[in-house]
Amino acid sequence: MKSLFQINTTTPLLVVMLVLATAFTAHAQSSRIQMSSLDHLAPKASETVDVTIDERLMKMAAKLFSDKDADEKEVKELVAGLKGIYVKSFEFDTEGQYSAADVESIRTQLRAPGWTRLLNVTSKREGSVEVYMLMDGEQIGGLAVLSAEDKELTVVNIIGPVDLEKLAKLEGQLGVPDLGIETTKPKTKNDKN
Amino acid sequence: MNEDYLWDKSGEPDPEIQQLEEILRPLRYRPKPLALPANLAVHQRRRYFPMLAIAATVLLALVAAGLWFRLHAGNKSQSQQANVTNPQPALEQKKTSRDAIVKNAIPAPAANPIAGNNKHRNRAAFAILKQREREEALAAKEQLMFALRLASEKLNLAQRKTQGATPANQIKNQHRVG
Repeated sequence: MKSLFQINTTTPLLVVMLVLATAFTAHAQSSRIQMSSLDHLAPKASETVDVTIDERLMKMAAKLFSDKDADEKEVKELVAGLKGIYVKSFEFDTEGQYSAADVESIRTQLRAPGWTRLLNVTSKREGSVEVYMLMDGEQIGGLAVLSAEDKELTVVNIIGPVDLEKLAKLEGQLGVPDLGIETTKPKTKNDKN
Repeated sequence: MNEDYLWDKSGEPDPEIQQLEEILRPLRYRPKPLALPANLAVHQRRRYFPMLAIAATVLLALVAAGLWFRLHAGNKSQSQQANVTNPQPALEQKKTSRDAIVKNAIPAPAANPIAGNNKHRNRAAFAILKQREREEALAAKEQLMFALRLASEKLNLAQRKTQGATPANQIKNQHRVG
């Protein structure tokens, strides 16, 4: 009787724990990267960028993009379906203002199941840039860029299906100065230079 | 010695055994009805435990599900809430204007200014809400553009680094030198 009693009480608990574990794992996979561990760098930084755009703000902002303007239309298409964009960037006057542990606190999260490292470029002079992708089945569920340079630490986290090609093309558009990286825009007749 | 008496009391009785029997007689088995102890309620209390465990499990599952939905639908509900607040002044406006019409038909001069004020106040609130939403959206758009640009820049930087030297910059430098 005792064993039967134990089965009766422990089985639902086990089932619930399994369900919870699955739910939290799934949530952990889709959740955004926690960047609060970098907040202590803000006082040291000469320039701090903190962007937090959730799904609601994303939808609100997307409404303001014009369909008539080709560039804006492209951005509108890019952000359609995105669930959030989170950025933390710190620029320092001198080197060595952030520690390896700071970078590792982000990197550890990107080692979670679902995340795949696409690119990892490490340079002694220029620091490292790592690009991670979150796979949601066969679709891209998110993107993370971790750039750790001598005087700059940047973390970008995009949640949702993101078109990498379109995103890479965005630099240099909408009045943003082109840094000379793969310009794909064809020259128009008006461009004499 | 015949041990039948010791076995089934059929043989000749042994005085020594009989003496032992006499001594042990008070301790022999006496069939009597089962007397349940007074503290049997303790066992009854245990019956509630499985029910409590199941109830707790169900409650835990409901809480987990609630949290899960809240985490996922939080943003949606916020936007819906924002949308819901808009029609409310409109409905109130309709109501007040309808009241105003009715009260105009029945002469009640004191009610009209109140209705008018409410209408005006609702319109102002609605306009402020719209304005705030627009400002918020504009700020979000600006931030969004910045974030996308930064992401794009970093992506391209990584791409550039994987390809080694930067051809575009090299060309630019060549032009500058030449």
